[in-house]
Amino acid sequence: MNSPLLNLVPGKTFLHKLTGKTKVRTFLVLLVYIIMSFDIRLLFPLLVASIIGLVSLKPRWKTIKVFFYIAIGMNLINVILYYLARPTCGANWCGGGNTVLFQFTDYFTVSAETIWYLSVRFLKMMTSFIVSMVFILSITPSEMAAGLYSVKVPYKICTVFSLAFRYIPDIARDYENIKVSMQARGVEMDPKKASVMTRLKQNVLILIPLIISSFERVGNISNAMDLRGYGKGKTRTYYSEHEELKADKIFKVIYCALLVFCIYWIISHNIMPQPSKMWHPFS
Amino acid sequence: MKKVLKTLLGVWNTKTVVVVAIGAALFGVLMNYAGIPIYTNTKLTTAMIIPVIVGGMFGPLPAFVACTVGNIIADLIGGWGFWFDWSVGNGVLGFIVGLLPLYGAKINEGIFKVKHAIIYSIVCVLGNLFALGIVIPILTTLFYGGELEVTMAQAWTASIANIVVLIVAGLPILYVLANRNSRRTNLKLEEKED
Repeated sequence: MNSPLLNLVPGKTFLHKLTGKTKVRTFLVLLVYIIMSFDIRLLFPLLVASIIGLVSLKPRWKTIKVFFYIAIGMNLINVILYYLARPTCGANWCGGGNTVLFQFTDYFTVSAETIWYLSVRFLKMMTSFIVSMVFILSITPSEMAAGLYSVKVPYKICTVFSLAFRYIPDIARDYENIKVSMQARGVEMDPKKASVMTRLKQNVLILIPLIISSFERVGNISNAMDLRGYGKGKTRTYYSEHEELKADKIFKVIYCALLVFCIYWIISHNIMPQPSKMWHPFS
Repeated sequence: MKKVLKTLLGVWNTKTVVVVAIGAALFGVLMNYAGIPIYTNTKLTTAMIIPVIVGGMFGPLPAFVACTVGNIIADLIGGWGFWFDWSVGNGVLGFIVGLLPLYGAKINEGIFKVKHAIIYSIVCVLGNLFALGIVIPILTTLFYGGELEVTMAQAWTASIANIVVLIVAGLPILYVLANRNSRRTNLKLEEKED
């Protein structure tokens, strides 16, 4: 049950070799970039770039495919729900126009604006999904802790990140063991045979031994960390962080430029009033 | 006042860091493998137990960190994209649920009475209404500009699921943990003078 996405050993491709600092900072800037706008002119280049990034990482497509199906399915359901909740939702995004293409009933009309808005929204969600996918696949937990430390997150919280990732496989294994031994004693976990409430109760039955056995480890781990002098200094350095390569410097220029662009865009488009909330081809 | 602030922040020594880390890992695992889907992006999940335990032992801020980091980890290993609005919202909920030591329920010392159970249930309901009804919709509009109707529908189902989990599963676990700890702590620590 080890997560197929998370790699603990640094990989060999171009993006893998960047420092954790570069990865985390670039990712944070890209998140701002994605979140700030509904503009397809901004989102589409990033989508293409992130797909190129994903391919360059040479992932195991077989395991990743499942995550793509889940993401596409969930985002499609979300888009459909948005449509069902308000079929004219595109109108107030595209400056009030509502060009009806055809209608099923009086309520369920299909307008060009709604299609535009929903498809841009879908594109935006997929971009954010692929960017985070590239980020996860290229980084190791200790690099992530080092990167977070470089953006002034207190190092105890960085340790929370890397320690938590370290213990996920252990906890997942314990969970599976307890679940199997519970099932061997006749606790029904099959969704077809037990109702939601009973399954919730059974989950609690698994939970108590899992929580107790996990938290019993706390003493050992914290003693071991204390003995190695954890938390004595005010600052911390990371073993996984290496010297900046040439590529890191290039990325530094890119993310700084993007950050300036993001600030400009937020001031000029998000704070200043606009004729319509998103860019659209209808006039 | 200073004491309240200290309870709110918690003591950040090595043990707290490890407990928060393990809590976050547990949150991530439970969110992914022990959830029962009831609505899109919403699960009837037992993960909401974690802030109760971490909060009961170490106070609200560790519960907040455990919840937020745990949710980010759940998003990372779950692979459904990042939803920072939900991470922060769940963190706020964790903070409110983790207020346990503030009203005198000390799980470490085995103190958890009926009075505390009643306050805990009320706080859970109010915390859910606040975190999922107010914080998450505001963050969603800020971050993603989503349609409020759908977010609200998700928030309502999630908050009902959370309340069920927090009360149906949280209360027994709090009792069990308090009982376990009270067996060991019938010795009294002498007050040191300094």
